[in-house]
Amino acid sequence: MNANTPAVQVRQLCKNYGSVQALKGVDLSIAAGEYFVLLGPSGGGKTTLLRTIGGFHKPSSGQVWLNGQEVSHLPPDKRPTSMVFQAYALFPHMTVLGNVGYGLSLAKLPKAEVRDKSVAMLEMVGLSGYENRRPHELSGGQQQRVQLARALVLGRNILLLDEPLAALDAQLRKDMCLELKHLQEKVGITFIHVTHNQEEAMTVADRIALIADGELVEQGAARDIYRTPERRFTASFVGENNLLSGTVAAVEGDTVTVQVCGQALAVDRRDLPVRSGETVALSIRSELVEMVPAEGAAPADGRSLAGTYTESVYLGLTLSHRVALADGTEMVARIVGESDTPEPPAGAAVRVQWKPGALRLHVN
Amino acid sequence: MTNATDTGLGGLPPVEPFRPSLRERMSGWAFYIPIVFMVLFFALPMALTVVFSVFERTMFWMEPGFTLQAYENFFFSARLENFLASMGYSLISVAVSFCIGFPIAVFVRKSVPQAAQHRVVLLFILPFMVSEIIRIFALRPVLQRNGLVNETLTSLGLIDEPITALIYTHTGVIIGEVLSFMPFIVFAGFLAMEAVPKFIFEVCDDLGAGPVRRFTDVILPLAAPGIFAGAVFIFVNGIGVALIPNILGGPGAVNAGLIATQAISALDFPLAMAVSAIMMATLMGLLYVGHRLFDLTKILAPMN
Repeated sequence: MNANTPAVQVRQLCKNYGSVQALKGVDLSIAAGEYFVLLGPSGGGKTTLLRTIGGFHKPSSGQVWLNGQEVSHLPPDKRPTSMVFQAYALFPHMTVLGNVGYGLSLAKLPKAEVRDKSVAMLEMVGLSGYENRRPHELSGGQQQRVQLARALVLGRNILLLDEPLAALDAQLRKDMCLELKHLQEKVGITFIHVTHNQEEAMTVADRIALIADGELVEQGAARDIYRTPERRFTASFVGENNLLSGTVAAVEGDTVTVQVCGQALAVDRRDLPVRSGETVALSIRSELVEMVPAEGAAPADGRSLAGTYTESVYLGLTLSHRVALADGTEMVARIVGESDTPEPPAGAAVRVQWKPGALRLHVN
Repeated sequence: MTNATDTGLGGLPPVEPFRPSLRERMSGWAFYIPIVFMVLFFALPMALTVVFSVFERTMFWMEPGFTLQAYENFFFSARLENFLASMGYSLISVAVSFCIGFPIAVFVRKSVPQAAQHRVVLLFILPFMVSEIIRIFALRPVLQRNGLVNETLTSLGLIDEPITALIYTHTGVIIGEVLSFMPFIVFAGFLAMEAVPKFIFEVCDDLGAGPVRRFTDVILPLAAPGIFAGAVFIFVNGIGVALIPNILGGPGAVNAGLIATQAISALDFPLAMAVSAIMMATLMGLLYVGHRLFDLTKILAPMN
């Protein structure tokens, strides 16, 4: 195996349940040692993809390559993967140590070795001293750690995590996210983590792939996915983006002029194939939008829209002003930190504006 | 100090101590109803069984006294032999029922879609909609010498002579018991499988636990209390229900229930009582052992 061989390569993977297409020809490559997150809405196919990689589902067509070998025909235990399930996956009648060691004893390792490896792995996940507890005596977070230890102790080099933190409460989930990240850095193997929680994904991931409707929508580093989403869906799912739709009025070099609510907006073309008259989507993160009183004539720089102030939502860290455009589209201008500017009365005419480069163009 | 006539703030009436209504006060006692029921209709009659078993036999009934004649009559006759044999054959019924019923329960839990599971289990309740005596009696035309089974096998040329061992023998009794009681293993197994966590079979796939290890290491320990409960139920009925050996059994192919019934027909009430008392003692002992081994309270709360 070459050092550059990807840990996981998925080629044209399809999975049908009757007439339902859960995966529609997904192509994916994950490098060895990467913390990769499959992010997407429920029912989008991300768990199906993970389970097909793990061998729990047979693909309808397409191939799964792990460590440079085609494994589509292999059962889960013959693959270099091990799995951490959502919850309720420990053997209730075995102790913590018994749970962790079970896989090794199935592999007919000597008892002393099974014990030593299990104890070492429990220490790694921070559960030393819990060896003789039973699963029902552990908290949800501890149970998931036992699952981690049970999967890692097998020594396989790809760890699959299927919504591992979904059953935990919000605070614990945050803590566990960081621990997962650090654990992955420590053991150095490939982690593939499925979640529908954006914050969880961004905390742990080296790279994120957005999966929706059975397709891989977009992939990239958390920062890129958040800041520079390529696709409209990405913009709608990650972060808090304002989405606008409009018609292309003109294309001049790198600048595209788009008519939105009767106002012309200028946006970077990003080498996208656009033609005049085409309907396109625009996105802008709410924290890049600034709301100002509509005084005087609007600047003709194509970086503002007129609208009506409706309400504000105070969330402590952020304050969101909601502005309705002429066609009813709602835009959100989010201020991070405290603002002492009094809010305008509801129904006041306002303008939302942004800096150059904040608005992004998406074509289908 | 606030005094009782204080009208409080804003002229609201004073807060009076909470007085539970009669119904609420009585509801505490309602918890004793099951105990009263069990004492009145189970413990007391069972105790009387033991008392009556040492009474003197009279022509048509019995009179107070103390004699162990009924027990002597039981232990020093073919009855003891038959009783022990019926325990043995009941165990075979339990084993056969388990071998057929438990895989069905596992299959239903594992492979049948969640929404359909209860319907499948309901199928096994259907036979109980028919009176047991009809159900058992209907086996005669199936199992007898020129019955369905023998006719079919002869027609297919698989046998030359009809198999006569299918009815009026221990085999017949076992067939009847398995067909009657096997659903209880399905129910018990189905409930017991609740103790098996959702993703456990996939974990087994991942760790490489094959079907045998999966059964011995995971399913069996988790389902043990339920399996034991189902097994006890079948065993109890196997030695206790007189109907099945009465219709499908023959010479020697009897059980404790039939021995007691025959004693009643012979108007030997102390003997019938003694047989019942012995049966009861045996089963109580069995349950005690089972409880010590498996903690039978887990049947109703498998996850704890």
